[in-house]
Parts: sequence; C-alpha cells; structure tokens
Amino acid sequence: MKKKNVGAVLAIAVILVYLLLPLAVSIIYSLFSNWTQVIPRGFTVENYVELFTNPDFLASLGRTLVLCIFPIICTIVIVLLALFVTTIFFPKLEKYVQVICMIPYTIQGVILSVSILSVYINNPTFLSERLVMLFGAYCVIILPYIYQGIRNGMRAVNMPMLLEAAEMLGASRLYAFFRVIVPNILSAIIVSSLLAVGIIFGDYVLVRNLAGSSFPNVQIFLYQTMKSDSMKASAVFVVIMAMTFLIAAIVLFLKSRDGHERSKRKVKE
Amino acid sequence: MSYIRFENIVKNFGKNEVLKNINLEIEKGQLVTLLGPSGCGKSTLLRCLAGLENVTSGRVYLDGRDITDVNPRDRDIGMVFQQYSLFPNMTVEQNVAFGLKMKKTDKAVIKKRVADILDVVGLSDKIKHYPSQLSGGQQQRAALARAIITQPKVLLLDEPLSAIDALLRHSLQIEIRRIQKEMDITAIFVTHDQDEAMVMSDVIHLMHDGIIEQSDSPTMMYTQPSTKFAATFIGHYNILSAADFKKATDVSLDCDDVAFRPELVMIRDKPFEEEGYDMYFTGEIEVRLPHGNILRYAIDCNGVQIDVDVLFKKARLFPDGAKVYLAMKKADCIEL
Repeated sequence: MKKKNVGAVLAIAVILVYLLLPLAVSIIYSLFSNWTQVIPRGFTVENYVELFTNPDFLASLGRTLVLCIFPIICTIVIVLLALFVTTIFFPKLEKYVQVICMIPYTIQGVILSVSILSVYINNPTFLSERLVMLFGAYCVIILPYIYQGIRNGMRAVNMPMLLEAAEMLGASRLYAFFRVIVPNILSAIIVSSLLAVGIIFGDYVLVRNLAGSSFPNVQIFLYQTMKSDSMKASAVFVVIMAMTFLIAAIVLFLKSRDGHERSKRKVKE
Repeated sequence: MSYIRFENIVKNFGKNEVLKNINLEIEKGQLVTLLGPSGCGKSTLLRCLAGLENVTSGRVYLDGRDITDVNPRDRDIGMVFQQYSLFPNMTVEQNVAFGLKMKKTDKAVIKKRVADILDVVGLSDKIKHYPSQLSGGQQQRAALARAIITQPKVLLLDEPLSAIDALLRHSLQIEIRRIQKEMDITAIFVTHDQDEAMVMSDVIHLMHDGIIEQSDSPTMMYTQPSTKFAATFIGHYNILSAADFKKATDVSLDCDDVAFRPELVMIRDKPFEEEGYDMYFTGEIEVRLPHGNILRYAIDCNGVQIDVDVLFKKARLFPDGAKVYLAMKKADCIEL
C-alpha cells in the first residue's frame, strides 16, 4: 500500500515538473540580464518594471480582459435562455441544440476566421466591424464549453420539480428560472466561464486574422515583443500566466466560499 | 355545492389513458386521501388540480370557480412535493417567505408570518439554515410551511413522506393532521401506503387503474370493502373463490369471491366447545410471520391457504406443522 503511494506521488511530481518547468524557466530567464555563463548573472526586475510602465502593454491587457468578459457574458445568457426554453417548452428540441453547440469543437481557428471575413467584410454593416466580428467569433468558439458546463449543472438539480414548486407559489417560470435555477447552477457557470477565459487568453489566430493591428491584445503584444526582445517576451508570458492563475484563483475562492456556507452541517440536529 | 369538484376528468399521455372519467367531490376543511398503487393515476389527478398537467377533457372546480384553464400560479393552491423541492440556494426563511414575496406582501408582515408558521411546524431554530443542513423530515416541515403560509384554498400533498424513515414518518403523519385541523385547511393527500391513509384521512378515495374504486371513511373502507381490489389493497384480506372457500370451511356461499379479515378467524389447539360461530374447520400451520404486535399464521386448510392473525403473546405460539382448530362467523365474510 505504501509503495503504491510512493509511485503515485512520484508520478504526480514528474507531471508537475513537466508542466511547471517551462514556466519556471521563463521566470528565471526574464529575471537575469547576463546569460553568457552557466549560471546567469545580473538579476534584474527591469523587464517587469518596463512592462508595467508601458502603456501599450497595459492597454493590450485591458483589451484582452474586455475580449473575455463580453463574449462570455453574451454566450452564457444565450445558452441559459435556449436551455430554459428547450427544457420547459420544447424538450424534444434539446438534442438539436446540443448538436449545434458541439459544432464549434470541430472548427479550426483559421477556417473560422477566414470564413467570417469572407462572409461579412464585403457587406459593410455593423457586423463587419472588426471588433464585432471578433466578439462573435469568440462567442462561437467558447459555445461548446459553456453549453456543456451549464447543461451538466442543470442535470444536477431537479429542475422540473423546483420550477413547479416555484410556480405553485406564484412565480412566473422565467422569474423562477433566474431566481431559483440559475443560483443553483452558478458554480457550473463559473467553471465553464473559467475554461472560456483560458481559451480566449490563449487565442492568437482569431485576434490576428479578424482584428489584426486594429485591436492588439496581449497575444499580439507578445508576438511583437518576441520579434525584438526574447527576455521581455518571457516577462510578458509570465504576466499572462500569472493573470490566468489569478482569475482562476479568485473564481475558485468565490466558489468554495459559497459552497462552504451552504454545505456546512450543523453538528447537533 | 362541494368545495372541490372533478367533473368527467379524462387524461391521456399519448395513447395511454391514465384517468378514465373521474368524478369526485371534496368538502371544505377535510383531509382527503387519494390512495392506490403506483401508476393508478392518483398523482396525475392531483397535478390536474394543481394545473401542472392539463386535462384531456373534463372540468375542475375550486370554491365555485372553474379553474380548468387557469395558470397554476393563479389557482391559489399550495403544494408539497415528494422531496427536495426546497430551493437549495435559499435559507428556510427565504424559502418559506417566497410565496408571500410573490404576492408583494409587506416586508414586516412577511417576517412576522414566517416566524409564526415556523413556530407551528417546529422549525423556529432553523430559520437561517439552508435545506442541505436539514434532515429529510425537517425539509418536509419547511416545505409544508412554505405551502400553507399563503393560506391557499387547498393544500396538495404528493407522497410527502415516502422518502422518510418509518418512525419519523409516523410522527409527521400525526403532525400534518394536527396542523391541518388546527388551521382548518382543506387538504388532499396522495399516498400508496394504506396505513398512512387510515391514520390521516377523513375520507379515502381508493384509486385503481385510472378509476375510483371506492370512496369511504377509513373505518368503512376497512370493514366494508366493496370490490375485490379494495379488499386486496386494504387490510390484508383473505380472498378466496367460492369453491376454495367451500373446500376450506365446508360452507357454500352464493357469490364469486369471499373476503374475510385474518384477525376475525379464531384459532385453538383443541376443538371449540362453545357455540356462537357459524363455521368450524381445521388446518395445519405452514409458517408464522411476526408483524409487530400481531403474529400472522399461514394455514393450510384442506389445500387452501388462509392467513390468520393473533395478538403476539408467547403463550399462543403454535409450532410449524401443528394441527389447529379454526372458527369464524358468517357475518364477518364479505361476499364480492
């Protein structure tokens, strides 16, 4: 039994090292200026200071956050409403919704961006605004993740019974859905949006093809920095990773606090 | 005119006819039970009154008003479901207050009424708890409080105790009955447990296969079942065909089936000396089964098996295979 544990710990350690090594090396690389000897010299945080005083970088970070927030909120609202309608009024249509939501899994970023461009760019409506196209494309890309997350959350609560109970107490179905069902699947929504944040943070293809230089987010900034200064690029990379970790940590903290409050049992009944 | 009236209710699920022309009247202030095996349509009938199912044809009246096409939320009906129908994201207080909030009641009034009703159901100390912190019984008390706080015209209980263990179930049965009487609520209780129906009801409507088999008080239902199904479902009747009955007791009755309750058969280890019984016969103990305070003997009487109940006293124990003498009155046999 004990031997087995050692094996498990070893396996986890190997995987952790494998996953964290690139990050660790990037951090070290961005912190030293002199790499001519075996042991790097010239410890400096200059790269970071420069980054955080560079308005272009801060702006790109801000743009990425905007790019995360709007498509995710949009997609969540659309999926929630679609699932509300299918669950209550047209249960038979749900499988089609599922198929539609799964299609984006199979679409490559390049194909998606080129297709979007060729459809919208020649029809100058507001849909052909580069930013609108980009938002739309992100909505599509994250759709499967958001859909699956929310659907699983809904399966975990007895939705028909809760809605019936609320209805008998005088609530409209829509009110009951947003007041009773949504709070109960909040953790599912949060986890799926977290996945979506990761996807949007890591995207380069779509933002480059659809927005290009008109909306440089961190990935574009990273690409441009890489061409001029690899050490600075490492610093950018580290900051992006740190941001993603931070968002994940905040969300998970909020979730665990919420869950803790509800599930703590009273000792004596 | 009665308080609640079902008029020629038919309900189909696809080709499956679940309710076959139900006519039923319920008086104000009573606790009425819809009793029957699963799949008999009792829950469906309840949900038709709640408005959670639409009837295929027929009309539903409540307090003199035709509510057949009224939205569930406008019917002024409270409902308690099987289990887990409390909103998990809200405290007991918020759950119970939900109905009043929907009616846009004044906040101070809500607070007072929630406190009052939680006092009635005995949950005053759990007001800030979430449902997951309550036991099953406490959850159903909270659900009951939530359903009656708006003072609905009728309270529907859809097998509310079926997921609760036996001991607690019994005390909740008595408590629901107490609250129903205390607050003068008209209530319809759905259950598949005949003991539960006996304990709680003013009137039992026994349902079977989409129709109402018999409507009676618990006492009448127990002593005078009117159909073979009623006799099978209530009170563990012995039901024998007339031919088997003759074989066992040597008495001929002019009917299809004979039903008699196991506790009305007398049992001795030696021949009866006194008069007063109409039939005397013998049998051999096959097996004995303890049921709490009674002991049930399965007895082979000339190749026909009948059950006989006696109070569980040590002195009366007959061993398996023992020859016993039995006696019964004709008046206790119900001809079906």
